[in-house]
Amino acid sequence: MTKKKNRFTVGWLYPDLMNIYGDRGNILTLLKRAEWRGLDARAIDLGRGAAHGMEDVDIFFFGGGQDREQALVYDDLIEIKQEPLEAAVAHGSVVLAVCGGYQLLGHYYQTAEGERFPGIGLIDVRTEAGKKRFIGDVVVDATIEGIDPSTLVGFENHSGRTFLGAGARPLGRVRLGSGNNGSDGTEGCVQGGVVGTYLHGSLLPKNPHLADYLIRRALSRRGMAELVPLDDSIELAAHAKILQRAQPRAGER
Amino acid sequence: MRRTAAVWAGKATGALSRLSGRGGGTTLPGDVARAIDPTVLRKLTGDLTEGSIVITGTNGKTTTARLLTSIFEGMGKRVVSNRAGANLIFGATAAALRSAGPDGRLRADWGVFEIDEASLPRAVEEIQPRIAIVLNLFRDQLDRYGELEKIAKTIEAALESIPEGAQAVLNADDPRVGEIGLALARTPLWFGIEDPEVAMRKLPHAADARTCPKCGASLRFSAVYLGHEGVYECPNGDFARPAPGVAATHIVLDGFDSVAMNIGETRLELPVGGLYNAYNALAAFAAGMVLGVDGQYMAERMHGFKAAFGRQEKMDFRGRHLVLVLSKNPAGFNETLRTAVDMAGATHFILGLNDRKADGTDVSWIWDVDFEQLAGKAEVVVPAGTRAHDLAVRLKYAGVEARPPQTEPGRALDDLISVTPEGATAHT
Repeated sequence: MTKKKNRFTVGWLYPDLMNIYGDRGNILTLLKRAEWRGLDARAIDLGRGAAHGMEDVDIFFFGGGQDREQALVYDDLIEIKQEPLEAAVAHGSVVLAVCGGYQLLGHYYQTAEGERFPGIGLIDVRTEAGKKRFIGDVVVDATIEGIDPSTLVGFENHSGRTFLGAGARPLGRVRLGSGNNGSDGTEGCVQGGVVGTYLHGSLLPKNPHLADYLIRRALSRRGMAELVPLDDSIELAAHAKILQRAQPRAGER
Repeated sequence: MRRTAAVWAGKATGALSRLSGRGGGTTLPGDVARAIDPTVLRKLTGDLTEGSIVITGTNGKTTTARLLTSIFEGMGKRVVSNRAGANLIFGATAAALRSAGPDGRLRADWGVFEIDEASLPRAVEEIQPRIAIVLNLFRDQLDRYGELEKIAKTIEAALESIPEGAQAVLNADDPRVGEIGLALARTPLWFGIEDPEVAMRKLPHAADARTCPKCGASLRFSAVYLGHEGVYECPNGDFARPAPGVAATHIVLDGFDSVAMNIGETRLELPVGGLYNAYNALAAFAAGMVLGVDGQYMAERMHGFKAAFGRQEKMDFRGRHLVLVLSKNPAGFNETLRTAVDMAGATHFILGLNDRKADGTDVSWIWDVDFEQLAGKAEVVVPAGTRAHDLAVRLKYAGVEARPPQTEPGRALDDLISVTPEGATAHT
């Protein structure tokens, strides 16, 4: 195996500005799980002004930020990142976008006053501001194939309502929590190699099967489809603890 | 008349809830009294012979309040203070009720209230403080408050509305607090640390609030003391840390045992450790200075200080020395770990993580804590608490070998004791 082939690169979009709610756990999880498979894993920071090396990225991660920080990355995303990001995805790179990052990859975000901020339209979703904030644990029955267990767990905290167009399909259906918009029962989206979601937690540490799904998908474009199974008992025990929260307790309901 | 009824009803509720063993009556009496007379807190604090101090910020409210209380009590003053954590308006009301007499009058000299960030505008309006202290603004409990930006705006509006002649005392080292203070019409008193010896060079992962409020550029730090607290400036010259009027220099940290510093001419030593306590002492000292309290006297009172319950406590248990430390967010947790590992040489840990309502139900923040610093140094780590399983995952990805997660605190302690030699020190 050549050195380059053994390399695994995570591109972290705006690590300084779009890293609220501990989304860094997703980066750590991707890197460790790649390392445990003997890959030479590294993360590159794609902050404002940076676009170097985006063509070598296996998985992009785009987290959530506060309103002020989101406004600060907005111009850079459109002017500097959009083109290389689209090119990388067209070549099989994978993207995981959470919360604010998820919204910015869609067609637009519409404020309560009706003002529209266009996103980069990488995924067929649109978001509108909502009044009530959705906050709490989420359990999702995932609709993507080949992941075991078939559930995803996380914590949501958002006021945006995201609606999927025909080009995107939901990541799953909510069993507990509100998901994309609190009305149609969907959570997140999948469109080709792009996964968008509202789930924090961090998401990937308690959903190692989703982490592996992303890694496998990213590596498959390089002809490396097989991943050695790992002992995920600690991760899945934490996963199971959140699943319990979706069970009505005795005496309730 | 209405006020007296409110005070009596509130007091009765306090007694009842204490008797029934629910919650120790910290806030429920406040609810009841306020329902009868919504202005009860305003009236009661109006009875204080000296006035009030309100303290807000993410970390350090309780300790700073205790320090100020101790300073005033040493002067023979009667102090009303809310109980640790009961920092909503109801908690402050309940505290005032406890000290009110049967005639509904408050018999005390000083009110020292820790107030949660979101409640500050109401607290300022009702309590009419002489001093308002803002300690810091860390990412914390975002699920309760929405986002930091909103909190900053809330605090700014509250500080604008403090009474004529009142003084805002603010932490210059926190960029978000700096931004709030520089926008105020009246100049605040700034406090900060001036000691490159205890500084880090780089912002830790837990840091936030790092962009210039004017141009949006990432702030440049020449020193980082704790989280995002340090000496900062905008690279375009649009914003910089205000020069502190009250500064701590020559800081000496001794694990969890003590922290010493110079403030002006005064040498101060606190019998609780950690840089965060240097900030708490500095804030209390600055407030005392505003009131004209003698520096040497404050140093003496602080020297005999006992940490607020659970914030930092030392005890012996079955032949082992235990140190209990409470952290509620990444910045606090990182500092605690740094103190434990680097300065106290700790090797045995119970790490507890809870998500009960008071703790914040979102535990994502543990991924911003640098547990990696335990790797290779900690010999035994027991993940505990209602979210012990989340901690176990976090530790695995930090490369820290951990014992099985324990959701029962008693079991976690048993497990730690079983593997900790007698005479050794364990940190929880």
